[in-house]
Amino acid sequence: MISLIKTWQKLNEKGVMGINQRNADYILKYNNRRNYPLVDDKILTKERAIKAGISVPELYGIITTEHDISQLNNIIKDHRDFVIKPAQGSGGDGIIVIADRYDKDRYKTVSGRLLPQSEIEYQLSNIITGLYSLGGMRDQAIIEYRVKPDPIFKSISYEGVPDLRVIVLMGYPIMAMLRLPTRQSNGKANLHQGAIGVGVDLATGITLNGSWFNEQIVRHPDTDNVVSNIQLPMWDKFIHLATSCYELVDLGYIGVDLVLDETKGPLILELNARPGLNIQIANDVGLHKRASVVEAHIAQLKREGRKESVEERIAFSTKHFSILR
Amino acid sequence: MSSLTSHLKIMIAIFLALGIAIISYQVFILKIPLTESEVDNLWTIDAKINFDVRGTKPVNVSFYIPPKGGDYAISDELFLASGYGKNFIEQPFNRLVTWSAREVSGEQTLFYRLNLTKRFSDEIENSVKGELWRAPIEVAGPEKEAVDRLVKEIRSKSANVSTFITTTINTINDPTNSDVKLLLHNNNSEENKVKVIELVLSQAYIPIQQVHTLQLNKSTNQSLNLWIRSYIEPNKTIDNRDSSLNGSKGNWFYFNPLNGNIGLPSDQVIWWIGSKNIVNVENGTKTRVNFSIDKSELTAINLAKLTAEGSNFTENSFYTLPISTQLAYQIMLMIPFGVLIILLLRNVVGINTLGTFTPVLVALAFRETGLVFGIVFFSIIVFFGLLLRSYLEHLKLQMLPRLSIVLTFVVMLIIFVGLFSHKLGFERGLSISLFPMVILTMTIERLSITWEERGANFALKVAIGTLITASIAYGVMGYQPLIYFVFTFPAILLILVAFMLGMGRYRGYRLLELFRFKAMLK
Repeated sequence: MISLIKTWQKLNEKGVMGINQRNADYILKYNNRRNYPLVDDKILTKERAIKAGISVPELYGIITTEHDISQLNNIIKDHRDFVIKPAQGSGGDGIIVIADRYDKDRYKTVSGRLLPQSEIEYQLSNIITGLYSLGGMRDQAIIEYRVKPDPIFKSISYEGVPDLRVIVLMGYPIMAMLRLPTRQSNGKANLHQGAIGVGVDLATGITLNGSWFNEQIVRHPDTDNVVSNIQLPMWDKFIHLATSCYELVDLGYIGVDLVLDETKGPLILELNARPGLNIQIANDVGLHKRASVVEAHIAQLKREGRKESVEERIAFSTKHFSILR
Repeated sequence: MSSLTSHLKIMIAIFLALGIAIISYQVFILKIPLTESEVDNLWTIDAKINFDVRGTKPVNVSFYIPPKGGDYAISDELFLASGYGKNFIEQPFNRLVTWSAREVSGEQTLFYRLNLTKRFSDEIENSVKGELWRAPIEVAGPEKEAVDRLVKEIRSKSANVSTFITTTINTINDPTNSDVKLLLHNNNSEENKVKVIELVLSQAYIPIQQVHTLQLNKSTNQSLNLWIRSYIEPNKTIDNRDSSLNGSKGNWFYFNPLNGNIGLPSDQVIWWIGSKNIVNVENGTKTRVNFSIDKSELTAINLAKLTAEGSNFTENSFYTLPISTQLAYQIMLMIPFGVLIILLLRNVVGINTLGTFTPVLVALAFRETGLVFGIVFFSIIVFFGLLLRSYLEHLKLQMLPRLSIVLTFVVMLIIFVGLFSHKLGFERGLSISLFPMVILTMTIERLSITWEERGANFALKVAIGTLITASIAYGVMGYQPLIYFVFTFPAILLILVAFMLGMGRYRGYRLLELFRFKAMLK
């Protein structure tokens, strides 16, 4: 009992954010429910992003009805690889990644498994009926460009596409984490499925130590390579994209998921209005600690009656939240 | 909770204050027992009146019965007198019942039964005011001299009216005093002493009344006790000559005429006041009154239902509803407590459950199946339901038809398990009515969706979380003392709302998060 109280106090001192605090002090306070569809529906997010000139994976087509499923071949056309995902899915559920075509009605997944067309159609039907959507409501299936991960991650990733999660509070990036798929997560970059999270220094884009489930780790469990001290390329572009997402959806507390494509560079994959908390373990820093710095700064700006541009906000965050510089 | 806004604080304060106020009113003013097992004494007093009638004559019996509004509440009265007409007469201090019959002969027996309880009495002191002054009783000759000497002596020994009375009582009870001997005429009975006390006090203009009481203890032949009382204004001196003072704010003081003790013991019930006989029978002879007293212990809540005075509680409570409605309300009233358990387990402990309120529904289903059987039943059905679901996976059916098949199968399974367990001798097998069946089917539907979305591990975790939560909720919702309390003091729900409002801004860690983030403290 006493040790629990001590743990409580220490976590508090460290500024670690719990779910209740996240819900009450951040999501409820900064995120207007009216804007949720913009992040919950990936089609809406994509449309907005394209309009704002923010890089996203190219959209090949949308399937809305059972009847549309027969249009799959028209949508894919001559693309040899693509991704199918539910527009309102969460946590990476229901996503199929096709790496190549095998023959006329068979496809190859990233792991090399052969997938007949009928199975893809079955999955599309599941998506449309709302199996993966948040409220169990009817959904749409998105067919889009398959991101080809930059080889930089080869040494510290197992299959799949690693992605970068940046928490943005009122337009200020406050914490970042690289999510690396593992054998256990089946090539998916979701922490609850066993992917590892690696902290990223906000100023330099250099990786720190990692987390796996609720533990802190140093090496990737599959490749045994040390996950820290890797410089992410095009870091400035990454942080700029994430930061400008505040203007995109007008939500004060979001998690921005980005990927690094080998030819197209950083792309925004999706936004999350209720980002998870394990990013704190990966960075070994409490979210609340950093958030209060930003909140104090915003209060100061409000008194002065001014607002900051994307560049100014990045400068503020990199100045205050960098561990390495 | 530092983030509570003043608006929310006011809301919480209002609900809390309202809840506490209503419950306190019920507990302290209406005297409603806090627990169901609280017992209280119910006194049953039987008064038997016997008399003989010579020949055939019309008979008129008047009998004093205890007044209402004393320390004890009258829960029930019964008059047994066949062939007699009954009539009540209300007097300033007394209630009188009269029985009358036109032609009676032989030995007569009349019964009066009274049920008394201390609880639920209004305890409002009989508000009828008494006299503060009376004219002296005329005496003459040697008696006059004796009385005057006594009054003089007593006045010198006393300071105010009540000490004057006690001193008078003590003096009259002094066997060596020759003036007293003269006045008593060698009759040392209590009645005679009271008469002399009245005579002496009247010389000081102090009025008294005779009070006849009955002591509450189990007995078959109880006699009445004689007390005297006087209406006294505090700090009044003994110079009681001014007759214009009548009727301001005084109190009744009770005196024991044998030793001068002040105050009526709490086990004395006032039967009637005055110097008349308890019973008066016209055309009757050999009149006797016999009291027998019995005590029984009743749970306080049953007393409340019995007692007429307690009825201002029962009339405004759920206890007036038909029994079947009462049971339904009891279940409904407990649902917020089930919800409270979920709130605590989810937001404070951090247990994952299936949906938000599914555990409450499962707990309600357990009410009909029992806990152990319910858990076993739940596990078996969920296990087979999910087994079927994973088989259907291979058939590549659309979601809706697939779930429909699972649901149909679950219904068949429930019926099968029910019949099977009945055959094995488990009576509970057939207790699965429609309600828990629907809940179980829904649970399996949600669980199989969770399975599809998040995988088997997560589904198992959530299922176990739901079972644990439901079991605790079941325990709380079925805890009899709590059910009694909520049903009797429904205002507790307002306090619950206040608590929930406060929880709405709870920002602290969940218990399981302390373990989740433990790695960060190394």
